[in-house]
Amino acid sequence: MRHKSQVPVFLLFLCTTLNYGQNTSKDQTSETRLPEHFWDRTEFKVGFVGTVFWSNGLSVGTEYLWKESGKTKIRKGNERTNTHQFLFNGNLGFVTNFSSKTDTGVYTNFGLTWRRTNKKGKQFGIELNPLGYYRSFLPETYEVDGDSVDRVFLPGRGFYSPSLSVGIGKQRKGKVRSGSYFNINYSPRFNYNAGILPTFFLQYGFRFNFKNKKQ
Amino acid sequence: MKQFVTHNFKIMVLAMATLFVNSCSNEHTLNNLDATVFVRHKGADMPAYIKGNANEKIFLITLHGGPGGAGLGFQGNAFDRIEDNYGVVYFDQRGSGMSQGSYSEDEVTIDLMAEDVLALVKVIQRIYGNDSRFFLLGHSWGGALGPATLLKDQSAFLGWINVDGSHNPRDLYFEYIKNFERVAAVQIELENSVSFWESVYEELDKIDRNTVSLDDFAILNSLAFNAEDSLKNDNLINGPENGGIRVSDYNLLTFVWNLLKIQSILDEDIIGELSYTEQLSAIRIPSLVLWGRYDMVVPEFYAQEAFDNLGSNEKKLVFFERSGHSPMSTEPDRFAEEVIQFINQNK
Repeated sequence: MRHKSQVPVFLLFLCTTLNYGQNTSKDQTSETRLPEHFWDRTEFKVGFVGTVFWSNGLSVGTEYLWKESGKTKIRKGNERTNTHQFLFNGNLGFVTNFSSKTDTGVYTNFGLTWRRTNKKGKQFGIELNPLGYYRSFLPETYEVDGDSVDRVFLPGRGFYSPSLSVGIGKQRKGKVRSGSYFNINYSPRFNYNAGILPTFFLQYGFRFNFKNKKQ
Repeated sequence: MKQFVTHNFKIMVLAMATLFVNSCSNEHTLNNLDATVFVRHKGADMPAYIKGNANEKIFLITLHGGPGGAGLGFQGNAFDRIEDNYGVVYFDQRGSGMSQGSYSEDEVTIDLMAEDVLALVKVIQRIYGNDSRFFLLGHSWGGALGPATLLKDQSAFLGWINVDGSHNPRDLYFEYIKNFERVAAVQIELENSVSFWESVYEELDKIDRNTVSLDDFAILNSLAFNAEDSLKNDNLINGPENGGIRVSDYNLLTFVWNLLKIQSILDEDIIGELSYTEQLSAIRIPSLVLWGRYDMVVPEFYAQEAFDNLGSNEKKLVFFERSGHSPMSTEPDRFAEEVIQFINQNK
């Protein structure tokens, strides 16, 4: 009986991007020469994903560094260099509600991450995954068609589910456990019942680069 | 390092497998049911939470309010007692609770939702046998969906229990106004929460008294819940006993989104439009009408209207003198007694 519009998360994304896109005339940008070996530019990540109260699960993923640049700014007479990266990324996750068994699913999504790292290794990132798919897994399910009732094999439904994550992290340069992250993730599910279901998840986990030597 | 990765990978796979198995297991022992089963019907997957003691293969199917309420909202002391005696099926209707699916807004009709309930009956018969027997209970909006279901096919049901049910939302708008004026006059006379009841008069002055408006209906509906809070503060209605939905039962965001969506689809077909009053005479199965005396959400006028119009030879009307819209929460012992007694007499 009441109507409410969805939260325009896109605006948040836009504002954040514009804010970080502002340059002063004294800023200098330099492209970083990246390692040529595929595995040197690839990191893996694993972590918690869920809403804490209703659904919890695990997420694994990988990131491939595509472009990197250093941006040097003068702030209060001091020179500051931040690293800006664009990474291709892919994720695979599983979430479930232990209590009701009604919120279990697997998702996968692919897209691009923009990440800024300051000289202390503190990171801010935005991950946009336009290619996304969520597949629910239901418990015992029966399909009714007229008088016929049949048990459904591997019941569940698939939904197109792109995602947008905004989060912070910490880099551990040169180490196998190369960083940690904490994201807030928005993943709408398209054609869910008679509309688009907005879902939000928290993501917390670690990144690994197995080409690094230090533990 | 390789060993570290292999070891952790194994743990992760094991953890995911455990989560998956846990999320799909069910308990179908008849005297101690605890199963979540989905009904797939015409584009929707709707969860039915089947609990209780179904040794006699008797199931009480419950229809929640809303539209867009939650099946598990019935849980509590009253239904715990009913579960001790009979199987109880808590059902998230199409577009409600944790139901999922894929269909257009145009496909969602009350008629289809009634078919969903009949599909649920077939699924329970498939699981527990064709000798399963059913009673149907509807609360609030479920008091409209119940008659819609029974008018399609009542042969599967041994009895109908109407709990503060809205079988006639067509006229509810105007009945709200009359009921508010009646109750406000009495409460002001008794000097109970005078300032609140005077503010009710002020709210009534702002709404359109001649034409049904969805916005004004929402105000009246919200005012009705506030009025019950006021009656509770003045010790005319009992406070609700423990029970209801646990935090972990429903994903709050999914639940709220479903609620708003299904109401936005159905409201125009229900408010000021839908009435089963003239068709209630076609319901012939034994019926029990349970109503809170101080129900401000579906006023007591409709209790008598439902009772008078039902075509059942065996029917009974019970008022709960210290209850509002949800007597199962405010007078759970008596509520359970009435329901159990009704099922015992008609099984």
